[in-house]
Amino acid sequence: MSQLQSLIQLQETSEHLLNVQEMQFWLDKAVAWTQVDSPETQKDTCRHLSRLSVFLQQLVTHINNMSCSTETMKRLPFLGQFLGRLCWNPYVTADDTSRRWLFQCLWGLYSEHPSNPVERKANQWIRKIFCQLATDEDSVAAQAIMKHVDVPPKEYHLKVLKRMVTLLREDTGKTCTSLGNINQRCSCDNVLATSEACVPLVTCPEVAPLIGALLQRPTACVKSAVSENFLDALSSAYTSQGLSLDEQAVVSLWYHSLSSLEEAVLRLLESALTSTWSTPLKLEQHVAQSLLPKACAQHCSMFLVTNDIFRSTLKQAEGNDSVKSLIQAFTSCFLRELAMLQPQKRVPLKEFFPQSPQSLLVSLLTPPAEIPQKAWRHHLNWISGSLQRLTEEDEEGDRDGDSSGSTRLFEAWFLLVQCGHWVQVTVQLLVTSGPEDCGPLLWLLTFYHHPTNRGHHRALQLVHAKEVWDHLHSLFLALAHPLPVDRLQSLVTQLSPQPQQPQLSPLLILKLLVDFAVFFQQSLSISTEILQTVVDQSGLADEAVHVLHSLELELTKASCLSGDANRVHLRIKALQNTLTKKYGAWIPAEDQEPTCSRAGESAHGH
Amino acid sequence: MEAVLKNLRSTVELLAVAAQSGVVVQWDKQTLCRAFRWARYCEHVFSRFQDNPAVRDIMEKQLQLTNQSLRAALPRHSEVSFSDLSRCQHLLLVGLLNNPELPSSIMKILFDTPSPVNTNDEGFEDVTGLCSRIIHCKSACKVLGPLTDGADAEVQGAMLRERLGALLAQGSEPCRTEHFLESVLQGCAGAEEHFCLLIAAALLTPKNSETAAQDFLLDWLQKKHSMLQHMCSVLSDTILMDLAREHLKFRDAYYGLLKKWASDMEYSINDRTWVQSSTNPTVSFPKLTEHFLLLFKACPSVKENTEKELNDLKISDGDFDVRGLSVWGDLLSALN
Repeated sequence: MSQLQSLIQLQETSEHLLNVQEMQFWLDKAVAWTQVDSPETQKDTCRHLSRLSVFLQQLVTHINNMSCSTETMKRLPFLGQFLGRLCWNPYVTADDTSRRWLFQCLWGLYSEHPSNPVERKANQWIRKIFCQLATDEDSVAAQAIMKHVDVPPKEYHLKVLKRMVTLLREDTGKTCTSLGNINQRCSCDNVLATSEACVPLVTCPEVAPLIGALLQRPTACVKSAVSENFLDALSSAYTSQGLSLDEQAVVSLWYHSLSSLEEAVLRLLESALTSTWSTPLKLEQHVAQSLLPKACAQHCSMFLVTNDIFRSTLKQAEGNDSVKSLIQAFTSCFLRELAMLQPQKRVPLKEFFPQSPQSLLVSLLTPPAEIPQKAWRHHLNWISGSLQRLTEEDEEGDRDGDSSGSTRLFEAWFLLVQCGHWVQVTVQLLVTSGPEDCGPLLWLLTFYHHPTNRGHHRALQLVHAKEVWDHLHSLFLALAHPLPVDRLQSLVTQLSPQPQQPQLSPLLILKLLVDFAVFFQQSLSISTEILQTVVDQSGLADEAVHVLHSLELELTKASCLSGDANRVHLRIKALQNTLTKKYGAWIPAEDQEPTCSRAGESAHGH
Repeated sequence: MEAVLKNLRSTVELLAVAAQSGVVVQWDKQTLCRAFRWARYCEHVFSRFQDNPAVRDIMEKQLQLTNQSLRAALPRHSEVSFSDLSRCQHLLLVGLLNNPELPSSIMKILFDTPSPVNTNDEGFEDVTGLCSRIIHCKSACKVLGPLTDGADAEVQGAMLRERLGALLAQGSEPCRTEHFLESVLQGCAGAEEHFCLLIAAALLTPKNSETAAQDFLLDWLQKKHSMLQHMCSVLSDTILMDLAREHLKFRDAYYGLLKKWASDMEYSINDRTWVQSSTNPTVSFPKLTEHFLLLFKACPSVKENTEKELNDLKISDGDFDVRGLSVWGDLLSALN
């Protein structure tokens, strides 16, 4: 025998031994579960169900790797006994995953072409087990009723199951009667046992109403807590999308189980960061569908957890615009859900944002639509002034070695990120500002893109921002062709990565450029040409389209019905069309808008 | 009608083939789906014509003919009656699973994990995972069973009552309806206690519907004395009280039974108490007292009349105030 062969055999033996040890553990369990039918053994089964299905899955692989059933039975002599016992354990056969792997184990033992009496006997045994599982009836009364009342067994069992679920749901729905006295019997007594029994049934649609009732039961007394196993089973079923619960039950699941809430938030983050959302509207729809904004509006504690995750993600990915977009979309959905709640169920805003500077809270969280358009500039100037004061205090505190100021400043910036709608308005107002009143707005925009005064560059960045603004202002003032090529080129340069620090955020410049193209009183053709030339040359067309979409969404939400609104929307459409025609792949077909001329015609029609 | 009868014959033949012939070796998923579709068809035929005696008769005759010819070809053929048609899919399934020739590929389809969308293009239920779904449902009942007392008896009771209601609405003869009840009772042999729960459930839920069926059941109980006796000795206090409160007929029968139990008692000098000799299962004197108290609690209005009647019976026994002479006198003092 070669060395390699003996090595392989040794490995096989150790693998084999490992299996035998684990096999013994599970065999002991299977025996214990069937020997005593007590609440303890049931609980033990439920506690081990998920591990058991993992083991059964390994067993399937193991069995399938064997050459034939004779070999399997020789290697694992107790396999038949083990599987047989599990087949008659309703907790195991009720659980979709365990049952699936259990049956696969049985089929693994089945020989399509039995070559000896042992294999033939095994085949017979497997057929018999399957037949009995599907057709045997334990209760004579059930049999008699089915026979004489002409009810098919499938229908009968479904009816009994539904009745059981109804009865248990009614029990679960009863209010606590113990009045806090632990020794007194109350309707909560069965909650734990019922939730424990539901562990194998979490994916069963018929049981969903009971699961919902268990989750939504008010925690009135100490006995009303649901089992941890139950919550774990629900969380993992929810993650693998095997759950058929209604919205409110899912919210309650998060309320009961912090880990499942965290997982849901992380999943949302991941989906928002990994997939490209063609438009901000789609991202917002996706966020709303996650149910998280609704859940957070109902439960302040859930909002705090969610916000904490966002906060630390934002800290780690400081400049990541996808994270910012997600947080903005989330906050906007959250505020909408909060507004839809009945006033008596609504928790005051400051409890949702305990760490944010309270003086800024209301001003920033109020959506632009709720403030007259004429007051926007004043509103934003005030916000900018407050933030400037905060930064000055912070920087002073920094010099004195006090770090609480920087935390406070971060919280202020975090709030500004959450309320991105005001940043949008800032850019829009900058277009219509004169050189004398653009200062506070420019400061706010620069702070949003460059929150830290790293290297004490804030002053310099502000100068840059002002230069860009001046540049755009004079560029869009140009009345006729040809466009000043050198000026366009200098914009392109500013938008490209530059070696010298500090560089002004290209996104800041791009937003200003787009907003100038949309809002500046300049002919559409010239505006389009400026925008197109610059984004083409700097390779930022995708980003520009994205900014246009965000702008469109915010304007729709703010529902500015000024006489100007229609013109603005048409301009946005036209600009989008020009940019996307060239980069058609960016937008899916359903989003493709009519061409400029057709949009113009329809405008005449109105 | 001709076509329906022809289809019935073919489907019954199909059932026989599925259960007993080696032909199933050649079955594939498509054959399997078609077979179940025909079985479902027969279930529809059943529900469509079960309340139509004329059509039922014609179909019974057709089934007899088919059964005869099948028995000639397949000696182990088990007959299919009209009412069996209601469970045609189940019969097909049982036949297939017990047929040693059934290919394992077909079994694997039946025991596969059901797909989340279990209807195919034609709107029919998919056979994939059919058994898996049944096992899942049965297991779920077993898991929740220990937590819900009597949910199965409730469902069975409701089914029984609905069937009784249907039989009565058809105007079928009382003896036929009684025969139906007797066959259910016989089917429940060995589970008499459960049968009591079943009857109680049929009488208790839901209110205001199928009163005809409930009346019929109550009359049957009055005639079926041993059954009533059994019910009163095994059912829980709560159920007995609910029954007495809900149904005057039951209350009277219950009262009558308690009096009968008392009159059957003899005083045992050795045990210094009243004991029963004839009834089975026996009821002790304290238990009898409890039953009377239970009846009074359920229907307070009964109390006065009962005491008066017991007193009359005591007087007829000589009206002695000595223990052990009159069961009525001793009952009266125990009740007070």
